[in-house]
Amino acid sequence: MAELALRMAFSLAQIAVVMGVIMLTVMILTLAERKVLGWMQDRMGPMEVGPYGLLQPIADGLKLFFKEDIVPAGANKFLFSLAPILALVPALIGFAVIPFGPDSTIELFGIKFKPFIISDINIGILYVLAFTSIGAYGIILGGWASNSKYSLLGGLRAAAQIISYELNVGLAIVGVLLLAGSLSLVKITQAQAGWFWNWYIFAPPFPQIFAFVVYVISAVAETNRVPFDLPEAESELVAGFFTEYSGMRFAFFFIAEYGNMILVSCIAATLFLGGWNAPYPGTALARLGFAQFAWAENVVWFAAKVYFFLFLFFWLRATLPRLRYDQLMRFGWKVMLPIALGNILVTAIAAYLFPGSR
Amino acid sequence: MPKKFKTWLKTITFYEILVGMAATMKHLLHYKPITLQYPHEKRTLPDSYRGMLALLRYDDGTEKCVGCDLCEAACPSRVIRVVSSEVPGEPTKRFAKEYYMDMTRCLFCGMCVDACPVDALGMTREYEWAVYDKRHLHLNKQQLLAIGDRSYPVREKRLEFQHPNVAFFNVAFKNLPQKES
Repeated sequence: MAELALRMAFSLAQIAVVMGVIMLTVMILTLAERKVLGWMQDRMGPMEVGPYGLLQPIADGLKLFFKEDIVPAGANKFLFSLAPILALVPALIGFAVIPFGPDSTIELFGIKFKPFIISDINIGILYVLAFTSIGAYGIILGGWASNSKYSLLGGLRAAAQIISYELNVGLAIVGVLLLAGSLSLVKITQAQAGWFWNWYIFAPPFPQIFAFVVYVISAVAETNRVPFDLPEAESELVAGFFTEYSGMRFAFFFIAEYGNMILVSCIAATLFLGGWNAPYPGTALARLGFAQFAWAENVVWFAAKVYFFLFLFFWLRATLPRLRYDQLMRFGWKVMLPIALGNILVTAIAAYLFPGSR
Repeated sequence: MPKKFKTWLKTITFYEILVGMAATMKHLLHYKPITLQYPHEKRTLPDSYRGMLALLRYDDGTEKCVGCDLCEAACPSRVIRVVSSEVPGEPTKRFAKEYYMDMTRCLFCGMCVDACPVDALGMTREYEWAVYDKRHLHLNKQQLLAIGDRSYPVREKRLEFQHPNVAFFNVAFKNLPQKES
């Protein structure tokens, strides 16, 4: 009984820390996105709140928190309130299986805990895919319940797009799973230890570079970001599925979008770029004799990879215009899908012919 | 065929997208913002800037406006309304008893200033005229004179004391000789 209580207390503490870090990252991202976009477009970005606009996320958060909560006339009130929660929860719940640091254990009161992963389940990646699919419900229900044509169109587009590109994400991941022989994100990361050419993007017998490209493009599309931001195309649909949302409900959708961005970046870093592994074998701190602090280096490497992807999101947004809807669908089904399927085929043959090299 | 191959190669390597991304990255690395932080920094206005309209006075404080209504006739968007009247006791002289400008409609073309035969209208360099109530932009004669007073501290002498060549009503004579200061 005491053991169960301790385990629950530890898990809750982990969840609190991870949620805190995710929310902090979302805050940083809202500012970083506006700043990076501004710099890339010869602007300054937010400059008014605090020095160099650094306190802008706090001002935004306060504004959204105190804004009037409007439910449009004719809206389905229950679904209208449920949709933001349905969008936010799947975006945050996926972080339960992400390994943020090395797979070490610490012993507290005679019980062993893994400090850098909330729950090391053996079907981690499947769990993430399942929950991100539920996020589509939040979006399409929010679009439908708003009683607005823009919201409905945005919701329909989002649902179609997410389902189409979810398939490509799933198929792109299969190559990595074939090489790793496991669905657990911890095991997949451990299999990429050593030099950086062991990362699955470069790894023998068959580098997953095609799968990586397919994954990154599909991930951008799945999170409804530019250039695949059809569901919230400002010039056509006002704001897409959250046109009618205001205040905290809008904030929920907003956090869900950024949470999804962080989640797909974490998955990309874990599956293709070696997760917490440094590009060299072991850690520099362990070699210098600080083995008890080696985890810090691993966590920093993981964060660096994730932030690289997040920067890529901003970079793409600053560069590319929006696709047309038929282009989007054609690209997803006629280009990405065959590449992903071909990659599975070649990877499977390579993994069968060279079983020892993985 | 090699050209087709080249296009194909560019497509599969996302060449065009990479070129675009290099361009944005270049702007990020050589960050030189072209924007001004407006309320803190302001642009230098050109000399011919056409800002808020104002009514002017002579150096002895009398109004220049003679109530001739030409500005009202020249205005393309009907901003101006003049109510003209005789100067009491001087039947040959007229002045604007009331003078209104509805600045919500003004497009700052400066035609009223061109039309004025006695140079009673001027364009100032004020442009920060955002108000909370639209009715505050419906200006009367006192307000317009006040704008002129604060924007033109150096006033002209009365016409009678200016250069003798200047006609009393200098209608449409744009190439008049230089006035003595």
